[in-house]
Amino acid sequence: MRGNMGKKRHVLRNVLALLLAAACMLVTACGSSGQKGTGTSSRAGAQVIGSGGETLRILSGSENKELEPLLEECAKKNHVTLEMYYKGSLDIMHILETDSSSYDAVWPANSLWLNIGDKKHVVKHTESISVTPVVLGMKKSLAESLGFTDREVSVQDILDAVTDGKFTFCMTSATQSNSGASAYIGFLYALLGNPDMITEESLDDSELQKELTALFSGVERSSGSSDWLKDMFLKGNYDAMFNYECLVLDANEQLTKEGKEPLYIIYPYDGLSIADSPLGYIDNGHSDKETAFLKVQKYLLSDDAQDAIQKTGRRTGYSGVSEENKSIFKEEWGAQPDRVLSPFRMPDENTLMKCLDLYQTSLRKPSFNVYCIDYSGSMRGEGHDQMTAALEQLFIQKNAEENLLQAAANEVNIVIPFNANVLEELQSTGPEKLENIYYALSDLSPGGGTNMYAALMQGLAVMEQETDLDQYSPAFILLTDGESETDDKDKFLTMYDKYGKDIPIFSIMYGDADSSQLKELADHTNARVFDGRDDLTGAFRSVRGYS
Amino acid sequence: MKAKLIGLIVLILVIAGAVGYTYYQKNSRTEQISGYVGGEKIGLLEDEEVKKILRSKYHLTVNYYKAGSLDMVTADKTGKDYLFPSSQTALELYEEKFGKPEKSEIILNTPIVIYTHKAVADALTQQGIVSSSGDVSYVDMQKLLACIENDTKWEDIGLSQLYGTVSIGTTDPTKSNSGNMFAGLIANTLAGGTADADNIDAALPEIKQIFSRLGYMETSSADIFSQFLKMGMGAKPMIAGYESQLLEFAYEHPDDWKELKDDIVMLYPNPTVWSSHVYIALDDTGTKGIDALLDPDIQKLAWEKHGFRTGVSTDKMDVNKFDVPGVLQQVDRVSPMPDAGTMMKIIETLSQ
Repeated sequence: MRGNMGKKRHVLRNVLALLLAAACMLVTACGSSGQKGTGTSSRAGAQVIGSGGETLRILSGSENKELEPLLEECAKKNHVTLEMYYKGSLDIMHILETDSSSYDAVWPANSLWLNIGDKKHVVKHTESISVTPVVLGMKKSLAESLGFTDREVSVQDILDAVTDGKFTFCMTSATQSNSGASAYIGFLYALLGNPDMITEESLDDSELQKELTALFSGVERSSGSSDWLKDMFLKGNYDAMFNYECLVLDANEQLTKEGKEPLYIIYPYDGLSIADSPLGYIDNGHSDKETAFLKVQKYLLSDDAQDAIQKTGRRTGYSGVSEENKSIFKEEWGAQPDRVLSPFRMPDENTLMKCLDLYQTSLRKPSFNVYCIDYSGSMRGEGHDQMTAALEQLFIQKNAEENLLQAAANEVNIVIPFNANVLEELQSTGPEKLENIYYALSDLSPGGGTNMYAALMQGLAVMEQETDLDQYSPAFILLTDGESETDDKDKFLTMYDKYGKDIPIFSIMYGDADSSQLKELADHTNARVFDGRDDLTGAFRSVRGYS
Repeated sequence: MKAKLIGLIVLILVIAGAVGYTYYQKNSRTEQISGYVGGEKIGLLEDEEVKKILRSKYHLTVNYYKAGSLDMVTADKTGKDYLFPSSQTALELYEEKFGKPEKSEIILNTPIVIYTHKAVADALTQQGIVSSSGDVSYVDMQKLLACIENDTKWEDIGLSQLYGTVSIGTTDPTKSNSGNMFAGLIANTLAGGTADADNIDAALPEIKQIFSRLGYMETSSADIFSQFLKMGMGAKPMIAGYESQLLEFAYEHPDDWKELKDDIVMLYPNPTVWSSHVYIALDDTGTKGIDALLDPDIQKLAWEKHGFRTGVSTDKMDVNKFDVPGVLQQVDRVSPMPDAGTMMKIIETLSQ
């Protein structure tokens, strides 16, 4: 009898639960329909594709930007929203290692970084979407004059030409981006005389380090991600770049459209690496997201999508580039769609990390950073707090090390805090003094007007005094909310143009930022504006990769 | 009156519906078990037919996280009910560290094979390293290891389109099973029988040398296999894997297989070793997975769709049902894996 009563109560409870559930469904339905149509409103730092349905936050290599038209199709057909967070592949590895809970999927350039990063075993359903090798794209006339167009070229051949001053090149940062890391490991093999495997001991060779330092001093411009390297390359006038075959093909499309000389693709036979573009699901326990992810992945692997991806210069499918798409891999650009891609072997994880440390701390061309930091009144409050927290990440070396952002022994950092006037000029060489600068800055509090051009002029004056500036990668890093007086603008631009050096002015904006002034400076100097409002530390990582 | 009656009917319907719903819920209540699985078995666990049997007959949903067979033994097991590695070695290591598990059972078997591309198989045949009997290809491990140890370049055996020295890609033997078993197979080859405590020390330097030149190694047998298929002959000329992997791929992706069929060759080491996929239940809930996975229908699906040799009696295991040439009807030439102590020695040497 009692049991029966209990059962009845149970039923009643279930009826209530059902009603409640129905009510909840109504409410959520209203909520989501209210949100509909706002699909273009982007979360800071993300490119939002599509609207409505389940949202997938994807940590992606920047080379996938080229696939956005296809991703839009995909989002529409599968009724999902894709939030693309573009990062270098090594940054993606780092996020996987530390905390990936705010993302639903990863899509780096190479599964190597995914596997090293996935220490917590949260990634599943990984499938390679396409394949593309890292190659050297070089102005065709230059490649011809070096005899690189009619024979197999080794990495040593390339390095010799660099050492002889025949050309300079651009590449991405080896500690942030897969294409840069791959090119760098290729250099290491060549300089070590192509051993079976790079060992940790072999890296200690001082002769090797000297050669590499000389080599990297020839790097014209660096960048934190491959797609931006391509953009930068197109805007500037450079000889060559190490980048993905697909991005060199894409660059060539644009170069020929503008009537400019295309790049010739060189596949170094002993220095090839292949990016396999793995797309994996991050399991945070949301089965709806998992279903949505699988739909997206299935779509991208469908015959039609694979063909569309191949048309962007990526290699897809099991039987190589189709006859129809061979015209995209143009022979006159040196493309070899039928080439057997035979890569070198990547060293094991410990050795690889040692290689990257070495690059960051002693091999790469040292930076000459001029930080102009806004301490005007409009920065008061949150903007200032965020900025201080970010500077702590960058300047305190223990923190910087965790992100492979530690200062090299010989890099120069000038820090110019400003409001309507230049407040101070702080300088450090190497890592130790950088911490002192951080503490000095902590004593400053924001106030007064804003004149960022005065700070830039001061910084430029410092650079002009440096006689060995060519030994460094110089860059301005401007931290501001972007609303400056403009009295000194023309004066500064005249001074900059007169100096005539290729020095990018990067900006990280925060507070009530207005990007128009910053964008103008970035366009003028082939640089970029980063939004630091959501993730200042991330923005720093990006900027540092480019300088 | 009429309105009252309708009201009553609606009420009765609602109550009936609720009772029905409760009853339905109670009966369909599935229990979820969660654990670590080697990547090569994910196809089986994701199989809709398998899922259906697990649900309807055993009221189970099997949730999984992908991990290497050896990695999973030491991984964080909070909230996990089972481990499903691919070898007895993982079980032995588990027992050494944590004692006897709640329960354990071998669920599936598959031999270790070497996958390669036609051009490579032809070149190896020329060298007398690969031989055929009918449409089955065998690899002479002794000769192949000699070829690797002599720093033979691919171009030395007529494959100038390939860069570097002859090597076999494997997963990391210290983390993942297929690589680990391949290390065991190499140890057996060098020992001229099953490697053991008495002869392993002499073989360790050679094993170390063979693996150290591979550099970075994948941690998942599934990943290395799909890279092998997708990235072409240049990227992975030869890999060690499970026989089941190709059988499953050919079944699940018949169109892709059509494109690949003429190029992919499966080589049986002679003798090879068995990979025994053992299910380790960590708790009482986890034990339910054992009975469920040993269900005859699931075992049948495991063979027919996923290529695992199981308890299905051999006469029902017709290899010709797969559109894959050169599959052995019966794998007879098998040597036992070295014991866990010996494998530990190999792992320790390779971890240094």
